[in-house]
Order: sequence, then C-alpha cells, then structure tokens
Amino acid sequence: MNYLLKLENIGYSVRDPSVTEGKRRKIILSKINFELERGKILGIAGESGSGKTTLAKITAGIIPPSEGKIISNFSDEWERIKTYPVQILFQNNGDIINPLRQIEPTIDETLQIRNRSKNNLAEKEKIFNSLNISELIRKKKGYELSGGEQQRAALARILAARPELLILDEPFSAQDPESQLNLLNLFKKINEEYKMTMICIAHNLSFLNKLCDEMIIMYKGKIVEKSLSGDLFSAPNHPYTKFLLKAGDYDLSYDELKFPG
Amino acid sequence: MLNALIDEISVNERPLLGEIKFRLERNKIYTVLGSNGSGKTTLIKSLTNLLDKRFYSVNGKVFYNEIDLLSAGYAQMLSVRREKIKYVFQDAINSFDHLKKFEYYFKMNSTRNSETEKLLNYFLLPEAKKLFRLYPYEVSGGMAQRISFVLALLAGPEILILDEPTSGIDSAISNLFLLKMKEFVLEKNNAVLLVTHDVKFARKASDEIAFISNGKFYNFKPTEFFFKDGSDSIINNFLTPDVSFQK
Repeated sequence: MNYLLKLENIGYSVRDPSVTEGKRRKIILSKINFELERGKILGIAGESGSGKTTLAKITAGIIPPSEGKIISNFSDEWERIKTYPVQILFQNNGDIINPLRQIEPTIDETLQIRNRSKNNLAEKEKIFNSLNISELIRKKKGYELSGGEQQRAALARILAARPELLILDEPFSAQDPESQLNLLNLFKKINEEYKMTMICIAHNLSFLNKLCDEMIIMYKGKIVEKSLSGDLFSAPNHPYTKFLLKAGDYDLSYDELKFPG
Repeated sequence: MLNALIDEISVNERPLLGEIKFRLERNKIYTVLGSNGSGKTTLIKSLTNLLDKRFYSVNGKVFYNEIDLLSAGYAQMLSVRREKIKYVFQDAINSFDHLKKFEYYFKMNSTRNSETEKLLNYFLLPEAKKLFRLYPYEVSGGMAQRISFVLALLAGPEILILDEPTSGIDSAISNLFLLKMKEFVLEKNNAVLLVTHDVKFARKASDEIAFISNGKFYNFKPTEFFFKDGSDSIINNFLTPDVSFQK
C-alpha cells in the first residue's frame, strides 16, 4: 500500500484533574485508525473540543500517543537534513510569529537550514509571491501584522521547510472571503506542485469538500464517519454528521442544538 | 450607548483609517466586515483606548455615558473595561496567562456560582468544578473562545465587543453564540459590536453592518440593505470575490 502514514488504534488520555485520588484518566482520543495515502488531502471536521488538534499533534510527533502506533514512510532525505518531515500550520498564529522580528529573515533562516549551500533567492520569491506577501509585509515585524497576515507569514515559513506532510489547523478562520478562496487554490497548488500530502482541519464543511479527497468527522474523541468528501454531503451516515451539516446555516433553535449523547 | 467620533487612526504616523463616526444603540448587534489587515481589530481596540500609544494615535472622541473614553483617566477606564464594555479577542487562548488556572479568572469576575454553571452548561463546557482546575494550555482553541465569552458575559457588561468569536468552533456552537448574542441585546437591553469573516454568520446575526476597505470606513447600514445594495462595487467584490476554484 502506498501510504505515507498509518495510524493504528491511536488513543490519548490525560490525568483527570477533577479526580484527586486513584488513577482515573480522561480520554481525549480513542481507537483512531486511518491511512494517509501519499499526495492526498484528508479533511478533519467535528465538534469543538473533540480532539482534532490533539490528533494533529500526535500525527506530527509532537506528543506521543498513550496507545496504538504510527507507521510512517517518509523519505530518507530527512535523516540527512536533520529537520522534520511534518509541519503544522497552527490555529493561533499570534503565539507563533515572533513579534519583534521581521518576517523576511525568518524565511531566509528556514531556507538556509534545508539548503545550506544553495542560493535560495528564487525559492524565497516564489514563496512570497504565491502567498501574496508584499514587499511591505516582508519588512514588517510580527506585532505589526494583522491576524490574517500572521497566518500567511507562518505558512511562508512552513513552505520554506517544505515538509512531506503539511497539517493545516483551521487555516481559513482568520481570512476574508477572497483570501479564503485564494488559500483553497493555494493549498491545491501546493498539493499538486510539491506533491505534498496534507491534512486539513476546519469547521467549514463546504471548504473541506472542495479541497479534500477524503473526510473524517470526529465527535467526543472518536471518528464517527469516514468517507469520500462528496459522499459526506450527499449521503451523510452518522447522526452527528447530519446534525453538523444542518447547523451550518445557523438557523437552529436552542432545543434543536442539543445533540443527543 | 456609545458614540464614536473618530477623525483618524494612524500607525507610526501613517494614516490607517479615517472618518469613523457611528453610534451604537441598545438592542442591536453591529458587525464590521472587511479584508485582512484593513484595520477591523484596530478600530475596535481604538474605542476604549486599548491601542499601544507607542505606535498608534487616535484623533477624536468616543463617548460612553457622557464620558470621553479617549481622554478619561486610568481609574475610570479600568472600571469601564471591567464592568461595562467587555471584549472577546481573536485567538482568545492568548488572552489567558498559561500559568494560571481558569479558577483565577472566574473568581475575579463573579461570585454568582449558579450563573457561572448555567453559562458553562449552555456552551457545552465542563462544569465549574472540573474547568476551574484546568490550565489554558489544557483546553482546545474553540473551548478557550467559549470560556472567554462566558467570562465576558459574567461581568454583566452593557456592550460586548467580539473579534472573530466563532473562529475555531464548530457551526453548532457558533449557532449557540448567535442565540446568546441575541438574548444579550434583546432581553438585557445591551449592544454587541462584532468583527467576523464569516459572512453567513454576520448576515444571520447582525442588525447593521459596516465595512472597511483601503482606509475607508463605510458606515453601518441595516443588514438587508448591506446585502441588497448593488451600488457599491467594493462591497460587492468583497462579498462575491472573483476567484474561481477548480477541483
């Protein structure tokens, strides 16, 4: 099977802070199974607090799972470069962009790490242009950027690292309607040009439908539905998926919003 | 309730936004739309003098109950910010000190325990006993967003200013936000000022919508006119961007 990554029975639990005695654990994720095919885009949606970001961190190797295993098929290149094949574009970029440094040198540095000997100017230009980062923004420091600009700056640094797997955590949330569509096109382009495999976490199901090949819906730490993205809309299976699709119009009353379970 | 008469906001002596004149009335939800980096967050921070004076300057006045918030003293502003005009900022998780448990914020804000439990329950958050023991890094981005909203409501403000409150939360919970905002303005006689990129959400939630583009503030107009009005090509381009997508 030509998979880049395979998650087998992944579980994650933490000490339950409300229990002071004994060893009861709070379960964040349980029995997560999926295979990520090389070059594909997988979408993850689901309840807020259902463990999507935790799953992203486990997939990227930032935190170890409590149970199960991850089997990966990354290229041997990474051993030589000594950087990591998975990168995450995080949700809260305000935390990640250094407020007191200019954007451009941080990109230079990242390119240097990957390509020590080469002249990286052309690649840098390409990255800035594809992300619409103007000369003016390149010279700005982190604190001078708006939420949406910080996000693009963070993405520029990730493209400079050129990972094999790119995980996007809520990439659309800080963007205006035009930038949202531009981002969709950009992710598709990155996927095709760099043959980069992607996981995209988002709450906007119609964006995920446009971008992704396959989709996963999560609820209370479990995968409740896994299907091709078109099928999810035309024939949703799990009651939570149906509920989520319905809530997308913001028309529900308080009683209708109480999802059973 | 609030009367903004701002001539200009500039950053490092570069003009950023001009002619921001509007009133917020009771029982209404107001929304500001605009492109990335157009100055939406700057605008809402300017209203209560929250901008860093080393970089920003605001020319004008903002009246709230006869007080000009831009020239009011520190003690007076402290009480306005603590009790009357509350914010939920973008990336709410960054509003918390990661080394303090949530208990610290709740104890500071309110002693009305039943109200706290009711709101936590409403927003599908863990009960107080559990939540209070958690640190901010132990909750998800969407949970931090909701906790920040609950804390703002517990202060019992008259005006709520929300910057992208629904980013990072699923549509069912966004829907809960919407209902709570309506209740806040209609039943408690208050006002909400909202910044969002979710046009669908803005349309469902708002009574009036304003727009910012290229340093210009297009004043609030009733939601149905904002979406109907075909005369302003800039707003039209924003609402239906000319970008095609090929799968």
